[in-house]
Amino acid sequence: MSVLDKLKLNGKVAIVTGAGRGLGRAMAISLAQAGADIVATARTKSQVEETADMVRGHGRAAEWVECDVTDSSSVRAMVQSTVDKFGRIDILVNNAGGATPGMQNRLVDIDDHHWRVGVDTNLTGAMYCSRAAIQQMLEQGSGKIINVTSGFGLRVARDNFIYTSAKAGLINFTRALALTYAPSIQANLIAPGLFPHDNPAMIEWWRGGKFVPMGRLGGDHEIGLLSVFLASDLTSYMNGQIVVLDGGGLAAGHAPTGFAPRVELPSEVTQ
Amino acid sequence: MTEEFSLLDRKALVIGASNPIGRAIAVALAEAVADVAVATTTRSQSEEVIANSCSNEMWALNRKSFAQSIDAASESDVNALVERTVAEFGRLDVLVNAQDLPFAKPIAETSFDEWRRVMDANVGSMFLASKAAAKVMLAQDKGRIINVASVLGERGMANGSAYCTAQAGVFNLTRALALEFAREGINVNAIGAGWTEGMGIIGSDDERQKLERYLPYKRLAKPEEVAGVAVYLSSEASDYLTGQVVWVEGGALSHV
Repeated sequence: MSVLDKLKLNGKVAIVTGAGRGLGRAMAISLAQAGADIVATARTKSQVEETADMVRGHGRAAEWVECDVTDSSSVRAMVQSTVDKFGRIDILVNNAGGATPGMQNRLVDIDDHHWRVGVDTNLTGAMYCSRAAIQQMLEQGSGKIINVTSGFGLRVARDNFIYTSAKAGLINFTRALALTYAPSIQANLIAPGLFPHDNPAMIEWWRGGKFVPMGRLGGDHEIGLLSVFLASDLTSYMNGQIVVLDGGGLAAGHAPTGFAPRVELPSEVTQ
Repeated sequence: MTEEFSLLDRKALVIGASNPIGRAIAVALAEAVADVAVATTTRSQSEEVIANSCSNEMWALNRKSFAQSIDAASESDVNALVERTVAEFGRLDVLVNAQDLPFAKPIAETSFDEWRRVMDANVGSMFLASKAAAKVMLAQDKGRIINVASVLGERGMANGSAYCTAQAGVFNLTRALALEFAREGINVNAIGAGWTEGMGIIGSDDERQKLERYLPYKRLAKPEEVAGVAVYLSSEASDYLTGQVVWVEGGALSHV
């Protein structure tokens, strides 16, 4: 089989959480373009309906399920309906997550509730979904779990306690999945840099990405392609790892001011 | 769908195609429809034989190719290789540095000359090839550099003072070059390879069996499994990816 054939996902079934917009929708569509059938889930019905329609527009089967990943019974029902409908789960993309109330609060101003909602949204939800789907994957003897963390799971910013802790927790949760269920199931992470999802306010807030080493922000479709790669047979030995897609931000080590200033070092070797 | 992963019309050069990972990468790029030149890391006859057979495999896939026997730590050899690639292919889109000289010895028994040779062969050679290739890629405003190094660049190993240092050097060479070329259209990434079949650092069968017991997959990686990443990193699907190590190690690094 040629390497490009290994990227085909025909006959595979993928659950994508947070699939109503942004990266989740982009991944659902890319996975469908690669041949997978899709279960699109999120809290907002109208948005996942639209994603499912878009998937069908690419000629793949699609179901939408209203699901709150922070509610374990809602997650169990979503996974059960996937198995009932499609009979299998090959790919689980734990993408649901993001900003939660109080995320930028100073430590002393973080309510207990803020903390729990942030951790539930960005970490516990992925555990609920993985826990619900793993049995089906084990019965099949195969499966790919793709968890979406963030540059903020690897590094932090001042006054950013909740999100960074939860996203870092997701990394080690994924490693534990990877070690426990290897080699039949692979678990890996995507760490996106700055992706404004075509939102003009976000583009402006991030100044069009001019401080990113590559000089631009990311496009959702680029995450979609990465999800296809990680879901495919091309990555059969990739496990417990993070692919950072950030235009060079973390390579510089001090994002978001990664590209400048440059530190002047001696340009000649002296004895 | 796979069009964004296709390497149609891309011209690639793989140095170190005489080891299993380099060879598998060359084949994978050719399967993704790139033209692929291959080179050895030393001028040994045994490497030359492998590089020639690898190049023949490219032709069998209907891709253009040539094999060249070089000392990858010789600046003039590397420059001549890059010049020939551009002369024959017209451009250079992807450079894969898969040079690897395994070496393990207690520090007390390691001469400074051996240390230098290990540095030159494993990371100096990548500096030379990147320098020569970047000159071509800057003129094209486009290019990809992919450096292959091992888990021993991330974790230490007894008797690995020289080799582990060189492998770690590859990862930071990758980050520094990625930033230097971030606005020039050249993406620079590394493949972090786990314990892989046929790679020289794995010694006796007994050692191999011990390793396999410890690995999450209970087996080594196949070279083709490492090579798949090179296709992604060479293609436009990874346009926004630079300065990163993409690991293919079966989860070994996740373990305490």
